Amino acid sequence: MKLRLALALTLGLAAGCDAVAGTGDRAVTGDRAVTGDRAVTGDGAVRCAAGSIRARGSSAQANAVNAWIKDYQINCSGATVEYDSSGSGAGVRAFIAGTADFAGTDSPLSAADQAAADDRCGTGPAVHLPAVVGPIALAYNVVGVGGLRLAPATVAKVFAGAVTTWDDPAIAADNPGAVLPSTAIRTVHRGDGSGTTANFTAFLAATAGGDWTYGADGAWPAPGGAAQRGSNGVATAVARTDGAIGYVEASYARFHSLSTALVGNGAGEFVAPADDAAARTVAGAEVLGRGRDLRLAVDHGTAAAGAYPIVQVTYEVVCEAGAKELARSFLGYAVSPAGQARAARAGYTPLPEELRRKVSAAVSSLR
Amino acid sequence: MNYLGLVSVVSEETPARLRLWSFAVIVTAVALLAATSVMMARVQEQVRVIGSEAAPQAATTADLYFALSDMDAQVARMVLAGDAAELSGSQIDALGTYRERSRQVDAGLQRSLTTATGAAERAAVLELLHQLAVYRQRVWQTLTAQSQAPPQPPGRLPPAALGYYTQATNVLHLDLLPAAERLRDAGEDRLDRAYAEKRTTELLGLALTAVLGAGLVALLLILQVWLARRFRRVFNPALMGATVLALVLTAAAGVVIVSQGRLLGAARDESLRPYLALSRARALSYDAAADTSRYLVSANLAYYREDFTRKSQWLVEGGGLAAAAGGPDVSPERSGQVVERWLAYRRGHDRIVTLAGSGRTAAAIDALTGIRRGDAAFDFSYFDAAVDEIAIARRREFDVAVRDSGRLLAGWTVIPVLLAGLVVLLVPLGVRKRLAEYR
Repeated sequence: MKLRLALALTLGLAAGCDAVAGTGDRAVTGDRAVTGDRAVTGDGAVRCAAGSIRARGSSAQANAVNAWIKDYQINCSGATVEYDSSGSGAGVRAFIAGTADFAGTDSPLSAADQAAADDRCGTGPAVHLPAVVGPIALAYNVVGVGGLRLAPATVAKVFAGAVTTWDDPAIAADNPGAVLPSTAIRTVHRGDGSGTTANFTAFLAATAGGDWTYGADGAWPAPGGAAQRGSNGVATAVARTDGAIGYVEASYARFHSLSTALVGNGAGEFVAPADDAAARTVAGAEVLGRGRDLRLAVDHGTAAAGAYPIVQVTYEVVCEAGAKELARSFLGYAVSPAGQARAARAGYTPLPEELRRKVSAAVSSLR
Repeated sequence: MNYLGLVSVVSEETPARLRLWSFAVIVTAVALLAATSVMMARVQEQVRVIGSEAAPQAATTADLYFALSDMDAQVARMVLAGDAAELSGSQIDALGTYRERSRQVDAGLQRSLTTATGAAERAAVLELLHQLAVYRQRVWQTLTAQSQAPPQPPGRLPPAALGYYTQATNVLHLDLLPAAERLRDAGEDRLDRAYAEKRTTELLGLALTAVLGAGLVALLLILQVWLARRFRRVFNPALMGATVLALVLTAAAGVVIVSQGRLLGAARDESLRPYLALSRARALSYDAAADTSRYLVSANLAYYREDFTRKSQWLVEGGGLAAAAGGPDVSPERSGQVVERWLAYRRGHDRIVTLAGSGRTAAAIDALTGIRRGDAAFDFSYFDAAVDEIAIARRREFDVAVRDSGRLLAGWTVIPVLLAGLVVLLVPLGVRKRLAEYR
């Protein structure tokens, strides 16, 4: 420090002069990837609480929640947070039974579950807090086809089995000028019940009209195709099958280096499943809940410019009143800018900023 | 020669001597200007080379070793998860981290290739690239063999997958890491050379500046004494000003060079070297932690358990971790915390080995991948966070020192011109009236 002081005095001689060109422009390891699991409190995003909580729920958000837990526990030595990724349904049941402090779910609670959850909370309702967004990508493996474009009706025809080869006129109409092979289409879907399937079929039901007659369901409702367990199974099956197409969370497609289709939105644009495109769809979603309840109605037919229409929003369901201080503190970190950035590194799409602020305010006002 | 003749000769000698003195002073001032300008420009360039090339390159190559170690740790996690649905989250997380590290390795090698200073260094990078291609091939053969075989319980590999995995981890440990180590050493050698070259420039520059500066001041003083005696004028403001400027230029150049040398030297010794040492220890810790996974993947092969013990002993009992994480910049509590957290991970490792040894592989995997306090994945992250905190602080300190050195030298291509230029202008101004007396 003494040397610094001496330097500061000496610097007076050269005050006002420009720095040496190039020196100091590049940090020693400026391009080094983030290596640690830190940065919870770097922006003062969270005030630690002590104790222990348990949560259960969606496996789709498990990696984000686990990353938050690691960060939170690293920075808050008196806290222990456990998350059992046993599925949305199991999470909601555990929450209703009072064995989970909050539940992670890929879709809003049904009316019956909401009533039961409200009863469990007693003094206030159970509220939905959006946690992360996940674009659902259509990953494919077709020779010579890059930048594949698919309108919602075409997606429905493909997954319903009405279109069976890649050079079908319906696909050709979406891809003018593209040379399409006559390879047979091999669809891949989830064999296990999942929020991803529920949101994908909800998209088809909302946008494909008569081309999709199977409704929206967490269990794959259409005949044909190959069933695979988990998103990893779908991604792996697509990767090893010529002519395959399947729906997976975009992070799985990205991590497995799979090509993904540009999907038509309500404005007639074909949009890639990028984070910002998914965030535009969520930003336009209507908030159905009241007060601190931020249950969203995603418009899969969105006509917002540049919006990617197949998205799922994962929620944390928690009691509006009576939630443990640690649960409130932990969720506060999860929806903070640092928490959302951490989720992004785990492959998720952060919440749109306006919605994030709303969720953050809702968490802050939990009692 | 009569008296009048002598007076005439003296009268003719005086302006000539005055012109000669003035010329000598101006020539010395110009020489001082040239010496300080060249020295400063050279040191500025050498600081730039250290700050923008040699130091980042040394850090990149140290981090390359670390990234390669972590790549293999992530492969072990992916293989361990297999197609177990309950571990798919861990697997995709490992795949994501593997890709991130892979990109980091590629970027590091690309930078090494573009900044390599000799054929041998370039050849080492190309060899690393080749070995990396082989390693990736073996990794994907492992994963493919695993996915094509009938489902196995987590932690059990089909024979073909285990064969490919053995090859992959051998390529990493026997070819890639030693090559990365050579590159890391070359990077540190280059950094040392850059510092040594700068030191040489500083010493030569300082000696030259001191000689020329002292000479200039001496010439100016002698000139003033001579003028005072010859013309009986004690004060010559212009020449006094020139003397002060010459003193300021010489002293300031010396102080700046010495100060930035000490600053950058201290940054290397107190920040950069400790950062590089910590990066080495960190790489070893990642590799050791991967041994826990490898032990399970290989159906409890004692080799990996012993390898872990050997690495951990170097880190703890050998004092490697305490030395790398300690120093004047780190409080004993913080460096102690790093060792304590590693010991916590080691206890977790021992528990996993015990569970696996008693046939409770599923429980061992749960303890390995879990993120509860006391689970290996969390304990390792907890340890790594403590390491990362120190590493970031050291990196920042060094960057600040490089920036300060740059600021210190800023403007020194102009300052000598300004000060020595004034000296050159003031000398004729100081002797002009005296010369006029002889016209």
